[in-house]
Amino acid sequence: MKVKVASEIAGQVWKSVARVGDDLAADDVIIILESMKMEIPILAPRAGKLIELHVAEEDMVAEDQAIATLDVS
Amino acid sequence: MSWEKDIDEIKRRRDLAKQQGGSASVARQHEKGRLTIRERIDGLLDDGSFNEVGEGAGVPEYDDTGALTDFQPANFVLGFGDIDGRRVIVGGEDFTLKGGSPNPAGLRKSVYAEQLALKYKVPLIRLHEGGGGSVGGTGQEKNRRPLGEPVFSTSRFVPLAETLGHVPVATAALGPVAGLPAARLVASHFSVMTEDAAVLIAGPQVVKRALGHDMTKEELGGPQVHLKSGAIDNLASSEEDALNQIARFLSYVPDNAWQRPARKSCTDPIDRCEDALANIVPTERRQPFQMRKVITHVVDHEAEGASSFFEMSRKFGPSLITGLARMNGHAVGVIGNDCMFYAGAMTAAAAQKLRRFIDFCNSFHLPVLSFVDEPGFMIGPDSEAAGTIRHGTAAISAVLQSRVPWASIQVQKAFGVAAQAHFGPDAYVLSWPSAASGALPVEGGVAVAFARDIAAADDPAARQKELEDMLAASQSPFPRAEGFSVHEIIDPRETRPKLAAWLDIAQAAQTDAPTPFSATMRP
Repeated sequence: MKVKVASEIAGQVWKSVARVGDDLAADDVIIILESMKMEIPILAPRAGKLIELHVAEEDMVAEDQAIATLDVS
Repeated sequence: MSWEKDIDEIKRRRDLAKQQGGSASVARQHEKGRLTIRERIDGLLDDGSFNEVGEGAGVPEYDDTGALTDFQPANFVLGFGDIDGRRVIVGGEDFTLKGGSPNPAGLRKSVYAEQLALKYKVPLIRLHEGGGGSVGGTGQEKNRRPLGEPVFSTSRFVPLAETLGHVPVATAALGPVAGLPAARLVASHFSVMTEDAAVLIAGPQVVKRALGHDMTKEELGGPQVHLKSGAIDNLASSEEDALNQIARFLSYVPDNAWQRPARKSCTDPIDRCEDALANIVPTERRQPFQMRKVITHVVDHEAEGASSFFEMSRKFGPSLITGLARMNGHAVGVIGNDCMFYAGAMTAAAAQKLRRFIDFCNSFHLPVLSFVDEPGFMIGPDSEAAGTIRHGTAAISAVLQSRVPWASIQVQKAFGVAAQAHFGPDAYVLSWPSAASGALPVEGGVAVAFARDIAAADDPAARQKELEDMLAASQSPFPRAEGFSVHEIIDPRETRPKLAAWLDIAQAAQTDAPTPFSATMRP
């Protein structure tokens, strides 16, 4: 089953941490956003394989925008 | 002659009332994975404590001889009962009868719920599932043109509004809730909804006709919408969870505004100093930290290590955390900035959440513990368009019209006008070494205030860094402690013992008889 991971905040992608193909545990960092001069990690909501990243470093991200897709099956 | 026939008739009517919408309708309710209103009430209350009000109200049907052939009970069930040994009023629509849309007796009983709570000064709990009025009227009026309420009648919204200042009100949405029940749902201090509940002003068909949107009721008013809109405080994973959350909420508040919350015995040592607190705030200001962990390290732990912290409205205005907790057995309101959301900045939503929460704490005599990490009002075009400045100023007014004991723990940032929203009148102020205060955070403020200086420098970036370092030192908490503008600068591990000692002193000084809270108009 595929699960989209959305950002709860607006900001700019500062750093991609996880790579496509990585097996992530719940709460592993996927990307770090810079928002209001702080580095805010976007975490995997549950364990799964990162099958797609929808944003790249320096992209602007809006509130509720999907930033990654996990395969949790 | 005897009364036996009439006494039998009472029993018969009571039995008919218990059938609710009939076995087929009850079965349909169960197929949807939902309980009936009577099952909900039984689940909420202590065993056998339900003392029903208006059991005999309903819509009878008679044959030509005047004998009762059927009896449709009022589709609002109401009564007294106990939760953990405390008396409450509980009521809710019976969805198995007309989908909870009020029949005449149901409407009368529903309006009486608030009046009972006001008269007997006990907490009010409403378990909602049902629609509002229908164009066809409420049953009996079907073949008549509606006459309306008499001019001398009191609007049902008068007691609905009054209850919030007098008794704690907790509500749940346990299915679709629309129209008047939706208004009653949000006229509460705490509301919870289940995953498959929906809260609607008007349903999909009405919306499609008027506005052309083709949406399901979940899309219009499901939890995804209303936890963020702020209409509903918490999500429940099941009906049982919803009822448990209501019981938990009630455990922190008194029965009414003329009482203080009961103090519970506390098994958690008040001198517990959590080592984790010492370095929980990163020295690098760009790195976030978890304010919820700060809160749970400080407030009482209950049986089996569970935290006494009960968070409310997490998804609405998430840059501000609000919840209830215990400190050395005293019930307290807790607020804290969450820097994971816009550095903890005050958005329009966070400001509305704060104002409502502080008014609630004042209404029921809950001291406030404020964990401060406020960078200021949220900036930018969206924030301006949301009217944040007005909502924020209203929140500050609510805080500064507060009457409850107030302690502020300056964990990190306290900047700008919005910082005022975290310090009640005559607050007891503790400062951590990580605290930083001023008109503006250094990172933004330096670029503005020293724009010419920086532009004229040979190496502007180096000059900016130099100015920032210099000013960061001026935001240090030590001079404020020297100037006695905070009560104490403390090792973060001392937070719990300091707060526990202060709260005992502050609560002992609350010698006036408690009364309902009122405040002036806000900005």
